[in-house]
Amino acid sequence: MEARRVGDVVWELEPRGGMRVPGRVFATPELFERAAHDRALDQVANVAHLPGIVGASFAMPDIHWGYGFPIGGVAATDVADGGVVSPGGVGFDICCGVRLLASPVTVAEFRRHGDGVMGELDARIPRGLGEGSIASRRLLADVLERGAAAALDAGFGTGDDLDRCEERGTSEGARPDLITRRALDRGGTQLGSLGAGNHFLEVQVVDRVEDSEAALAFGIREGAVCVMIHCGSRGLGHQTCTDHLEEMGRAMRRHGIEVPDRQLACVPVESDEGRRYLGSMAAAANFAWANRHVLAHEARVAFAAGGIGDPLRLVFDVAHNLAKVEEHAVGGEARRLCVHRKGATRAFGPGHPDLPPGLERVGQPVLVPGSMGTASWVLAGSVENPAWASAAHGAGRVMSRKRAKAEQRGADVRAGLEAEGIAVRPGSVRLLSEEAPYAYKDVDEVVSVCDRAGLASPVARLRPLGVVKG
Amino acid sequence: MVGGRALRTPRYEVIEHTADAAIIAYGDTPADLFENAAYGMFDIMFDLDAVAGSSSRPVVAAGDSLEDLLVAWLSSLLAEAEIAGLVFCGFTVDRLEEGGVQGSAHGAPVSGVELLGPPVKAVTYHDLAVVEVPEGWWARVVFDV
Repeated sequence: MEARRVGDVVWELEPRGGMRVPGRVFATPELFERAAHDRALDQVANVAHLPGIVGASFAMPDIHWGYGFPIGGVAATDVADGGVVSPGGVGFDICCGVRLLASPVTVAEFRRHGDGVMGELDARIPRGLGEGSIASRRLLADVLERGAAAALDAGFGTGDDLDRCEERGTSEGARPDLITRRALDRGGTQLGSLGAGNHFLEVQVVDRVEDSEAALAFGIREGAVCVMIHCGSRGLGHQTCTDHLEEMGRAMRRHGIEVPDRQLACVPVESDEGRRYLGSMAAAANFAWANRHVLAHEARVAFAAGGIGDPLRLVFDVAHNLAKVEEHAVGGEARRLCVHRKGATRAFGPGHPDLPPGLERVGQPVLVPGSMGTASWVLAGSVENPAWASAAHGAGRVMSRKRAKAEQRGADVRAGLEAEGIAVRPGSVRLLSEEAPYAYKDVDEVVSVCDRAGLASPVARLRPLGVVKG
Repeated sequence: MVGGRALRTPRYEVIEHTADAAIIAYGDTPADLFENAAYGMFDIMFDLDAVAGSSSRPVVAAGDSLEDLLVAWLSSLLAEAEIAGLVFCGFTVDRLEEGGVQGSAHGAPVSGVELLGPPVKAVTYHDLAVVEVPEGWWARVVFDV
């Protein structure tokens, strides 16, 4: 795949064959080299084939080889111009995302209660396979309809939490009636659970503030303890995507659409199948918003039970696997675009009308978790964002799980982290090796590219004190 | 069942994928291939040699082509296992014909079985292949984990 450097950290793939727009990758030469090493760039080019795509097929600096879309892929289609929605641009873990809570508690205070809090988190955070902390079917129906708002009304969280959630924790247009019996049976009892793989709950400390005005608005201060939660819609979302891919493959042929990878199956947004998918996706997304909301509640309970009280306030909750209809300027004209972010975070800049009170001047918090044991970042959206208000979502894998496993045993990874003062509470010790820091890119480099490309600007760097993994 | 063929080739092999998990499964016949791909999907999560159980579930799936049927069969197994709270360790395809596959899977309760790999979230169509060769059949499947 030929690409040329067109800016400090911008690379372009010229349209070839059926590509309707160019590909545009934000990366340093080193990060670009890594992306070119596997098949991620082919996937950027494949996404450029989607009917109705406008601008470019974008890739964030944490790009890596996925299925269908690359991880870190962003594509917007013009709804009124036959633009399509593709479940492959959302992924199976619908509305997977990150939630950050911050406290005024210092590291020294936390260390005094550290064992107690980590023990409480270990006991209270369901992870791995199986059920969550909430198994009520009655709550489930409301959750699919209203997301985090339903969980709040059921007694989880505090009143101002929703102000600090993307979409206020509720995806509009949800069609719970379209969620299949199989999806309900598979994931309905998993509300309030992390899952496994790269999902986690971390206790972190703010070790550097880069933008004090934004940090103040976000509620973050240097030296203070935070909790970061990364998880999604569990089996309910996985099954919902599976159900629609089958249907969409057939529908795509009826609409006369051809794509280079079957995982990119798509239909026009303004079609029966498109509306059905978006309605189901919104219901599954609501499950994910509520899931992180319930887990945050459990973290607050664990802090209190561990002797620290109730100091955790929500900084923000963002999705990084979602398709949304948003208004953006295309050639100076406001257009309704279906923006797919597959492993990419929405990043509205200052002045955007959808920002919650208090964040109008600084922009939306963008949460970029690093690999286990390394730093995570909080960024702020920027007005000049060149990629439909999107930024990176993490460090991005660089090593396959197979190779990572061969590198070190899980027990050694744990010992290494503990030696650095990071408490580790794994669901499975053997699984730790697959998520070891060496399997990921350097998150600081990813954040630097976000800054230099105008995707989002750094606000604060966080480092882990304790890790709860599936 | 794999019969004598297992002596010549493994049921499946794990292949490289940066973020997700991918396997190549082998079989003498399409039915054999489907059973071995199912074994591979669960064996990358658990050590199936150490799992024994007789809880059985019927599995049916529909699809327009052999590739579609393989994805549908594996997706059904994944969902049935999660719904029943089982780790499947044995697979039987009773009928594999145009438009549908019928079979069953048996296994043990997942509680108490150690997770050795990341849970498979779904079966993807990315890079999917089902190929007949002189020695039998092989299939490549990428899983979202």
